[in-house]
Amino acid sequence: MTKKQKESLLKRIEKGLYEYYVTPYRRSFARAQRDEDDLFMLLVFAESMGLPNPAAYYTLELLPLVYDRFHEWHKRMGMERSPLDHIGCC
Amino acid sequence: MLLDLAQSKKILFFGGKGGVGKTTISSATAIARANVGGKVLLVSTDPAHNLGHLFDRPIGSQPVRITAGLDALELDPGETIEKHLKEISSSLHKMMPPNLYGEVDKHVALSRDAPGMHEAALLERMADVIEEGYDDYDLIVFDTAPSGHTARLMVLPEMMSAWTEGLIKRREKADRFAEFVRELGQDSSMEDKTIGGATSKEQERESKIRQILLRRRHKFTHLRERIANEDETSFIIVLAAERLPVLETIELHDQLMKANVSISCLVVNKRAPSDSGDFMEERRIQEEVHLKTLSESLPESERHDIYLQPHDVVGIAAVEQLAKQLQ
Repeated sequence: MTKKQKESLLKRIEKGLYEYYVTPYRRSFARAQRDEDDLFMLLVFAESMGLPNPAAYYTLELLPLVYDRFHEWHKRMGMERSPLDHIGCC
Repeated sequence: MLLDLAQSKKILFFGGKGGVGKTTISSATAIARANVGGKVLLVSTDPAHNLGHLFDRPIGSQPVRITAGLDALELDPGETIEKHLKEISSSLHKMMPPNLYGEVDKHVALSRDAPGMHEAALLERMADVIEEGYDDYDLIVFDTAPSGHTARLMVLPEMMSAWTEGLIKRREKADRFAEFVRELGQDSSMEDKTIGGATSKEQERESKIRQILLRRRHKFTHLRERIANEDETSFIIVLAAERLPVLETIELHDQLMKANVSISCLVVNKRAPSDSGDFMEERRIQEEVHLKTLSESLPESERHDIYLQPHDVVGIAAVEQLAKQLQ
């Protein structure tokens, strides 16, 4: 085994170990972030889903920024079809 | 009396039960202040606008000149909501394919009559009127809607800033998670499923959301500070010396205290004069009974009486006449 091959093997092992240990953390952070995002979506769409929202006037302003995520969101929330009659995303 | 108050404050709110003469008293105070050389803006927040009826001329959502030193306007939440929705619609159109425009417009149209929309729009306009008029006018006078409506309007800035505060905190949390994920390297299984993912497009979206929320918070905090500042802002409760207005005044006083709004005085309108025959004398004695209840419940509050006028208060001349009683 040449010196060069040895180094790249070590590099590969290092990378593998890194992934092995880091992936679960990365995944749980990503999941936590996604949960936050889902909650945020719920707040923005609250009024249209029948939850009283004291700030509907202001959440509406955020609608353009999250509208394209709506489909993924309702699928993830376990709703096969769009829960809003007037949003026919699927 | 009321004139002294008008000269020492920047913002005055007039509230009280329906029909006691809030519009008349607030207009007279505004004119009295204008007459001693101040620039005054008179603003009606009552959806059933009465300023136009009082001055017997059309007044709209933009300031109109009533007399030297006095401008007036009637806030129109409906108009504000329309404008707000139109802006949202057009920015949604920009990012949606044209065949979905109909769906987008339907969603936005449904929000028009959502509960709280009118209040929020009213609050927004109120904040803008105060900010825009603050430097141009010596005094801004608000003629508000009947008690319950107004008490709610006064707690709204606090409630709304708490709400935006909460949302900002949540976004910050989501952002921190995204930051961790970025530092730990890419993970293709999650990346495109989150709002604040790793791509620059996502970061841009995140910063726009943040911007909107921060702008909101700034507006609410500012309005709340202005309303809570006792040196600049004061609330005046107008009432009649009758049983129901007195009881409602006591309740409104309580609600406003809870909302940290300082009440500078009570104005008892349409009092029976003392030298106008037996009938009026009897009425006057009856009124004293109700006013006793009032002073027992609110012993600290200063009180001013305004006497019943023989004629209707309509038009500038009549309001000027009444304004003289306030000096």
